[in-house]
Amino acid sequence: MINADLLALITTLKMAALTTVILLIIGTPLAWFLAKMQSRFKVVIEAIVALPLVLPPTVLGFYLLIAFSPQYLPGQLWQQATGQQLAFSFSAIVIGSVLYSMPFVVQPLQKSFEQLGEPLLEASAMLGAGAMDRFFNIVLPITKASFITAASLGFAHTVGEFGVILMIGGNIPGETRVLSIALFDHVEAFDYAKAHVLALSLLAGSMILLAAIYLLNRPKTTAAKRVSNES
Amino acid sequence: MNLSLNFQLDFSPFNLTIEQALPLQGITGVFGHSGSGKSTLLRAIAGLEKTLAGTITLDDSCLINNSENGCKTFINPEQRHIGLVFQDSRLFPHLNVLENLKFAAKRCQNSRLDFKEIITLTELDSLLHKHIDELSGGQKQRVALARAILAEPKLLLLDEPLSALDRQAKTSLLRLMLKIQGELQLPMLYVSHSLDELQQVCDKLLVLSQGKVLGYGGIHQMIHQLNNIEERTQADDFIHQQTSLSLPIKTLNNDHGLTVLSLNSPLNVHDEIYLPALDNHTAQINEQTLRCFILARDISISLTEPFNSSIVNHLYTKISAINTKGNKVLVTTRFAQAGKEQEFFVNISAFSQQKLALSIGQNVYLQFKASAVRTYLY
Repeated sequence: MINADLLALITTLKMAALTTVILLIIGTPLAWFLAKMQSRFKVVIEAIVALPLVLPPTVLGFYLLIAFSPQYLPGQLWQQATGQQLAFSFSAIVIGSVLYSMPFVVQPLQKSFEQLGEPLLEASAMLGAGAMDRFFNIVLPITKASFITAASLGFAHTVGEFGVILMIGGNIPGETRVLSIALFDHVEAFDYAKAHVLALSLLAGSMILLAAIYLLNRPKTTAAKRVSNES
Repeated sequence: MNLSLNFQLDFSPFNLTIEQALPLQGITGVFGHSGSGKSTLLRAIAGLEKTLAGTITLDDSCLINNSENGCKTFINPEQRHIGLVFQDSRLFPHLNVLENLKFAAKRCQNSRLDFKEIITLTELDSLLHKHIDELSGGQKQRVALARAILAEPKLLLLDEPLSALDRQAKTSLLRLMLKIQGELQLPMLYVSHSLDELQQVCDKLLVLSQGKVLGYGGIHQMIHQLNNIEERTQADDFIHQQTSLSLPIKTLNNDHGLTVLSLNSPLNVHDEIYLPALDNHTAQINEQTLRCFILARDISISLTEPFNSSIVNHLYTKISAINTKGNKVLVTTRFAQAGKEQEFFVNISAFSQQKLALSIGQNVYLQFKASAVRTYLY
């Protein structure tokens, strides 16, 4: 049975890593767009992005389950393109996680882009730096910490996902059976010893990851020292 | 180099409407009180204001053409080869001084300038490895100036680069600007709300008021024009009526602690202007002329030559205009000798005007103390 849990761990890490990469790729331009957006519709998009924060995961999972089923367009298109059913597949839980963890990646990025503002971008443009140059040499290094925060929160939140995966993933070992589901199985089977092992390791893993984020976002000691010297 | 401006830009509370050709040579000043649109003008030239209607042309290249008829052009700021030094320096916080400078040098396509030479010129050698947070305001602006120069722009825009600095940092940066201008022959457009700073370094002056061009011309001529501007509303705080001069230095120190300037030929004794001797060390004067100004309120008028006075400067002039406003009178006089003319502006009270019964065409003696001859730089 320990092998099944190990398999669940590998599936979980695979899902979370892939989700995080996809979220960084689509979340960065989305966050940039939202940070620069002036239109009234900004709040609507912001609300949609933030929705998974308040929505019961089962609601999102329910709608995704319907959308992914072969009777509906997204599921049909997927089946035509890949020849496989989307619902109850690894791809389904990755798509579900991307939507579910979106706010955890987009919000810190958007906030840091808004804080960065225009001044340094204007200054670098005046020195001959084009848009891509400005992004990679000014924006990225200055907002590095928020990228790390966004990636870590997205990863951690995906690892902790339960409701959405239960709805759209089923419980297929090596495919959609992740740690949180495996824990649920152990509890249902009254195998508290194994449940303890999984629960404790999830707790410890999340704790370590969050502590690392807060450590990273702590104000720099040199800056703090300088301020205290001046006052 | 010719900069041709013809555009309109929404800019509360006024519309910025500029129709002006600027032959850029040396340092051209842009003067106006806050809210007159001078910073917005620089941003438009830099390409940071994209919503303007009209055209901006630098020499033969059209930077923006957004007129209703005709094709639309917009050159991105990074492709304009125009430098801009901001009021708040805007150094990149994740790079140290050297890396900030290299950021500019790396992106410069045809680097003709020597990196080390510019660092020496801007006196940054000892700061290269410092973090941005460790720099003083004046040092930050020096780095910003060096960084802008290293991008080797065709035109350098300076948006109130001194306004956040203390007096000492201001004068040293102004001197640096003059030095750079002298060595690199880089045309500069320098925005400031301080006429004293502009008077020291600019050759030409563009005056803006409420989003419109009030005038453009030689620096002294424009400052003298400002003396007579009727609507002196908020601008009153900034414009002191004054006589603005560039005069040849006759003697730097005449053994009595005075510097002697000449209004005309070096031989004539009656055209000398004395001021407290410039400190040779700080001045580093290698030029033959000195920019100085005399506030109109610091000059007085006498009908007879004031022989028995401690006041060293007296000039024989002819009144050319008298402007009365309430209790204040602005008297414009002309000093003319050997074909050279110089206007002087004098503030007196209506009471004195009545007592002396001054009239246009009358010859009078102007007198002012040596300490009334001011220069911002030295």
